[in-house]
Amino acid sequence: MRIIRYNQPYTRGYAPFFRGYNRSAWSGLENEIDRLFASTLGDFTGTESRQFPVDLYEDKDNAYVRAELPGISREAIQVELVDGSLAISATRKTKDGDNEQSFELKRSVTVPDNVQVDQIGAAYENGVLTVTLPKQEATKPKKITVAVK
Amino acid sequence: MSFLNTLIPTIRQSSNACAVADQSSTPVRRPAYQVKETEDAYQLTVQLPGVARDSLEVTSDNTEVRISGRCAWAQPEGWTAIHRESAEAAYELVLTHDNALNNDAIAAELRDGVLQVTLPKAEAIKPRKITVS
Repeated sequence: MRIIRYNQPYTRGYAPFFRGYNRSAWSGLENEIDRLFASTLGDFTGTESRQFPVDLYEDKDNAYVRAELPGISREAIQVELVDGSLAISATRKTKDGDNEQSFELKRSVTVPDNVQVDQIGAAYENGVLTVTLPKQEATKPKKITVAVK
Repeated sequence: MSFLNTLIPTIRQSSNACAVADQSSTPVRRPAYQVKETEDAYQLTVQLPGVARDSLEVTSDNTEVRISGRCAWAQPEGWTAIHRESAEAAYELVLTHDNALNNDAIAAELRDGVLQVTLPKAEAIKPRKITVS
């Protein structure tokens, strides 16, 4: 599906400006500016990638990220750790007779530094993805005894 | 348009009065859902993330289809929430109709947090050809 910007047609020159009939001389410019703001601020949710709720928890051993992603097959979920942030992306394909639409859902969460990167696990149950990030064991302060001569 | 509404029973969403009159004390919210109509049945897809089979209830009678589900996951002891975006509320969806369904043949499947319910149309409302003598 392609999204095309809809250009509202505005008449120019048909309405006499000086009579103030329906439109002022500035309304063309006002419309352009309104549309510019609407497209800049309204596109954060975006039609390409949808937002899904994400919860962050932690206990003393792990940090947990729970994301609500119903209806996604396990191989369509990708969890990647890139540069200290966890990127969760999923594609949901819906088949509607002959049409096939796919929505992409994507979100990034920053992870703290003390994560054991090679032990991250993820489970998908009942439509909720839970990513477990084990914390590194806190480096215990080493006691160094110094013999005093 | 109102003539058509009375002649052809339709599945439509109930008003918010149903949610307000709910007896339970927990807040409820309406899940995202979609109804597709085919010749023989209505296909209802409801997104219920976090709901498992034993915390889900689907009931149907002559006037409404009611789906209620609770999140099956409870925050374990020892977990502190840093950031919450999902809500604790249970899901409830009520769709009203006017004797439009064949209640005996309803099939429902819950997989990965998505509930697919097939609601076959009652024989009385299926279109039929009338021969003119």
